[in-house]
Amino acid sequence: MKPLVVLILALVLLGLRFLRLSRVLWVPVWWLASYVFLVYGIEPPLPRSIILMFMGIITLSLLAYFSVDSQTLSAAWGAIVRFVTDRRYTIPLAMVVVALPAAVGWVAYRNASKAPNPPLFGRTIHPPPPIEITFKGKKINLTEADNPFRALEKSDPDKFRQHVARGRVIYFQNCVFCHGDNLNGEGLFAHGFDPLPANFADPTTIAMLQESYLFWRIAKGGPGLPEESAPWASAMPAWEKFLSEEDIWDVILFLYDYTGYRPRAKESLE
Amino acid sequence: MKQFQRDRFLPVENDLSAGAAPSCTARKIRRSWFIWLLMTLVPATLLAQQLGTEAQREKGRQIYMKRCAQCHGEKGDGRGPAHDVFLPHPRDFTSGLFKIRTTPSGELPTDEDLHRVIRKGMPYTGMPAWPSLSDDDITNLIYFIKTFNEDFASPYAQPTPIKIPEPPAFTQESVERGRKVYEANRCYDCHGNQGRGDGKSAPTLTDEWGDPIRPADLTKRWTFRGGGTRKDIYRTFTTGMNGTPMPSYEIPENERWDLVNYVYSLSRDDPNYATMVSAVYVPDSISLAAGRDLFAGAPPALFPVVGQVIEPGREFYPGVNAIEVRAVYNASKIALLLTWHDMVADRAGSCGPGLPVPRFDPQHPDTAGRFCDAVAVQFPSEMPSGQVKPYFLFGDSRHPVDLWFADLGKNTPRLFEGKGSGNLSETDKYGLEMAASYNEGEWAVIFVRDRQVSKGLSFQPNSFVPIAFSVWDGFNHERGNKRGITSWYYLYLPPMNQPSPVAAMAKYGALTLVVELVLIVVVRTRYREEALESRGQA
Ligand code: HEC
Ligand code: HEC
Ligand code: HEC
Repeated sequence: MKPLVVLILALVLLGLRFLRLSRVLWVPVWWLASYVFLVYGIEPPLPRSIILMFMGIITLSLLAYFSVDSQTLSAAWGAIVRFVTDRRYTIPLAMVVVALPAAVGWVAYRNASKAPNPPLFGRTIHPPPPIEITFKGKKINLTEADNPFRALEKSDPDKFRQHVARGRVIYFQNCVFCHGDNLNGEGLFAHGFDPLPANFADPTTIAMLQESYLFWRIAKGGPGLPEESAPWASAMPAWEKFLSEEDIWDVILFLYDYTGYRPRAKESLE
Repeated sequence: MKQFQRDRFLPVENDLSAGAAPSCTARKIRRSWFIWLLMTLVPATLLAQQLGTEAQREKGRQIYMKRCAQCHGEKGDGRGPAHDVFLPHPRDFTSGLFKIRTTPSGELPTDEDLHRVIRKGMPYTGMPAWPSLSDDDITNLIYFIKTFNEDFASPYAQPTPIKIPEPPAFTQESVERGRKVYEANRCYDCHGNQGRGDGKSAPTLTDEWGDPIRPADLTKRWTFRGGGTRKDIYRTFTTGMNGTPMPSYEIPENERWDLVNYVYSLSRDDPNYATMVSAVYVPDSISLAAGRDLFAGAPPALFPVVGQVIEPGREFYPGVNAIEVRAVYNASKIALLLTWHDMVADRAGSCGPGLPVPRFDPQHPDTAGRFCDAVAVQFPSEMPSGQVKPYFLFGDSRHPVDLWFADLGKNTPRLFEGKGSGNLSETDKYGLEMAASYNEGEWAVIFVRDRQVSKGLSFQPNSFVPIAFSVWDGFNHERGNKRGITSWYYLYLPPMNQPSPVAAMAKYGALTLVVELVLIVVVRTRYREEALESRGQA
């Protein structure tokens, strides 16, 4: 939630409370305030369909509130009748009569002249990995495999740093164009790809994955994904064409080292 | 200090600074007098640039080693592991040459200049923006970067920034006057007559480090290294870009803003990259002879082109960064117009989507004239029924693609079936026709084909056809896998008899009006009746 938006809305509504606004105006103001809150007040932004649903509920309840007591209803009705019949309002009425169809017509024109949106397809970002892959002719069982250099972190920190340093070089010669210098997926070429390159700084990628999962993703790339993950669209290269097994484990060490995340442990699966 | 030689890259007869030179030297002399005077009066340490404390430099060093050294090198010489994969290469800080400065040509930048370039990055180069670093981090980084070049510590290095005034109004008259300034200063020698970066010296340019460099495409302001606001443009040609052929200019103040406005007028603000191109139905016949006029009513869609860094034979710095597409169709045919900016038309040599590329193509191979420019449009060979598409790089074994390939050397179309990179086979053309022209930095290629053919994809109205592109820049030795690519986008063919939007507008507008009038009439009669009644009762 964005506190600033909420605060402003609260102040406006509180201010109106003291103005003793007519119900006829009060209802649309509340309606508008709810809309503004739903669209601008929530972080991350809600999808359009959800906003539409909420607004439907809010509209109904505001209408219900408005019509429960017949006094407010007849007050509102009286205001409308006065607007339509009173001589004083002839000019505003004429303006409304012209403006409303014009606005509706304009929206209809816009909608009709816009081409429809291209079809959207969902894709599973983290599909279950295969049990076994073949890497350059060698079978690797993903449920058992683990980063062979991870243990060095404790047993031989110097050696470990060397592996991380190698991983860094590999990253900056191969991955940086897409995944970016900050590992946030904003590389030089990222704007040309859909789906966008993964953002490793985000807690929902490598932070919740096992190192063997990353090994599979890096070795087999986009084309290695199952159908539900749209393998035809992913720009993630199959790095088995360029890198050795050791290279891949090293670059994985670097990804965790640079972002400060820890890989998900094997046990936590069971 | 390494001084940048302004005229080095220009043809001899083209001495654009002949008039300006005296005043420039005069100013230099005045400035050195000023510095001399200051030096005799104030201790030198006060004059040198801010260099920070030992502790600040140490903090800067730590950030640098983690975040910058991969590219700029641990010694600041630009020779980090990523040196080869970016062009322009990561900057060698020992050179003391900086592109984005508010200080006169040849001088060092101010701290604010460095701060800005680190914060905002340099668009369309390897230099990323650093929004996540704090202001203090950046200041400490700057103190550390300054240790790589001793000039920063010299009393002569006190920067003398120019002041960029607030821009005056942007008017059409000013733009027209600016065009004259553009011509008088021969910006077109490098940037081309229409600003597309295709001037006659453009292919010969190299930077201070001997690497080829291209003049900016002034029609794409979003690619400017130093930003695309009017103040940025003012700064660019007032102070020049050290280390590059982009000179600095002495121009009267009022003409400066005219030139700025002219350059500014050449480009829109944003690329507005598209995700689909809408074809337009034309009732007339479609033939190549009509040329570009055929597409007069078709809205353009601009797609980003990036380097192919996925399959072996990678292209790290593609020569083309975007392709614009228009499409029309009629009862029997479909036509596509592809346009993109290219510094020179390479018509010599061979080209093809399957030409072999060595695994490590040398950076500047001596292959001038060996490879021609080319472009390809890619469609699935069969219209996908659901979401499944062929692999976006030349398809895969189960889902082949059709490649409409334009060989711009031989000026002929060729058709390939792709079942993956390295698995392309040339097929019958099925009546595919092509016309190509190159004009002032822009290639235009038109493809025409029957909408329905015996084999291959048919284009049905009211459908979204997946479409992707490949562009080869011969000047960059691009061929085969070494090329610019796009991901899948869509080509949309609206229904042939599209109802006019005006009809929809009239219909809904009229409907609202009727409802309104009925309401008013009802309310008024009811009201009148009530009034009569109450009067009757009285
Ligand atoms: C051409 C662009 C490109 C390059 C180069 C690239 N990637 Fe990717 N990568 C992607 C895209 C796009 C995705 C997201 C789509 C997907 O999951 O396949 C991705 C996803 C990934 C994922 C999966 C993350 C997750 O949350 O599932 C990993 C791990 C990864 N990349 C690692 C690497 C490494 C390591 C390198 C360098 C050796 C690299 N990538 C180079 C484009 C690229
Ligand atoms: C992925 C590679 C990469 C990384 C990481 C990187 N840079 Fe750069 N940097 C470049 C490239 C490439 C250029 C040259 C761009 C050009 O000349 O157009 C550059 C240029 C520069 C310049 C010169 C600006 C000018 O006005 O000419 C400065 C200053 C700079 N970088 C600072 C930094 C700092 C500080 C960091 C770390 C926070 C950093 N860079 C990280 C690639 C990188
Ligand atoms: C000798 C060739 C040459 C001439 C003449 C020249 N330029 Fe440039 N210009 C360049 C090059 C090369 C670059 C690209 C520098 C880079 O990318 O680092 C450039 C870049 C630019 C840019 C983009 C700056 C940025 O931030 O990326 C602008 C704007 C520009 N020039 C305007 C002009 C104007 C206006 C003139 C005439 C007054 C002019 N140039 C004359 C070679 C030239």
